[in-house]
Amino acid sequence: MTHDAAADIEVPLRDVVTVRIPASGAYLAVLRTATAGLAARLDFTLDEIEDLRMAVDEACALLLSSAVAGTDLTCAFELDSDGLRIAVTVASRDGVLPRRDTFAWTVLTALAGGVDARVDAENRVTVELHKMRGAAAGAAAGGA
Amino acid sequence: MTQGSSTGAEPPIAPDPDIDEVEASERSGTDRAHARQLFVELSQRPEGDPTRAKMRDELVAMHMPLVEYLARRFRNRGEPLDDLVQVATIGLIKSIDRFDTERGVEFSTYATPTIVGEIKRHFRDKGWAIRVPRRLQELKLALTKTTGELSQQLGRSPTVAELAERLGMSEEEVLEGLESANAYAAVSLDAPESSDEGGGAVSDTLGEYDEALDRVEYREALKPLLDELPVREKKILMLRFFGNMTQSQIATQLGISQMHVSRLLARTLAQLREGLLHED
Repeated sequence: MTHDAAADIEVPLRDVVTVRIPASGAYLAVLRTATAGLAARLDFTLDEIEDLRMAVDEACALLLSSAVAGTDLTCAFELDSDGLRIAVTVASRDGVLPRRDTFAWTVLTALAGGVDARVDAENRVTVELHKMRGAAAGAAAGGA
Repeated sequence: MTQGSSTGAEPPIAPDPDIDEVEASERSGTDRAHARQLFVELSQRPEGDPTRAKMRDELVAMHMPLVEYLARRFRNRGEPLDDLVQVATIGLIKSIDRFDTERGVEFSTYATPTIVGEIKRHFRDKGWAIRVPRRLQELKLALTKTTGELSQQLGRSPTVAELAERLGMSEEEVLEGLESANAYAAVSLDAPESSDEGGGAVSDTLGEYDEALDRVEYREALKPLLDELPVREKKILMLRFFGNMTQSQIATQLGISQMHVSRLLARTLAQLREGLLHED
């Protein structure tokens, strides 16, 4: 009965799925759904899937507050054997990086594990989340 | 309000709901005898007596604290409080018109279900309580049950593939079920902020997490928002983000399902975000 589902999944070394939506909260549901679907492919647990969904929401909310109106938000999901990397990018009005001592950042870190932010020369700000495959993919030690 | 810089100054406080509630219940206590008398008089006046309308108005005014108290219990569900108070008042008026002093129950006891019913109807009419097709409702139930069972067996939350296998369905279907389980209104309106009791014990355990909060910027803005949260929602938030517990662990501790924890967390986060945004 102990069927190891993780072993069935052949995740190629690096798959990237990119979703581009208008930089508006109205489309976040699309990203949440995409996140859940992709995380399920990587055999994340339900806990982790819900965490990721919320993390994407939070990252987008963080970026949308400074996004240039009428531009797009890009969300690149990178699937690799370690886990899922999600890079959310907007054209920002000020090019200012989100602060790391905020509640939002605390939330992001708790939900995603790894969080980073960067800005390029054109004021495009990216928040990158990196969630490692945890309980289900590796040996299910620890727990409870 | 500039964030962070108001140290020592007055925190940006929204009116403390708890204080209002205490006042409300005390006031209604002292008015109780008077209300009873008014109801008796009202029932004795003939239909069309002009003083009837006046008495009715007085009874409405007298019970507005109850209306506001009940409306406030639903304030965190995405509807403006004013609207809730308005529909709750309709419930109050209906209760006043139907109340029968002979019945021997307190008016507030009699009126509360009617008022709450009116508020719930408002949510339903507004479409918050999205009607989920029966197939998805059943799927959701099966998922909740199976998630619980598998979590027990595996010592961790299950994956979508594991759920699909156990339920004999495709991963797509499982995902669809999870999606619908996340529909906003699935947060039961029938259990409004039930966790008031036991609040003392809970806040004891929350103390340590308050310290963690001190390391977070915007705490002046955040704290009053957190204090407005129902005890259970605040506890879930703290355990997840400052206690480093997983959703499943929190679910076990609180005796609710992981999906419920997930929904409450998502909703609470959205609320806080909204609240912080308005502080800026």
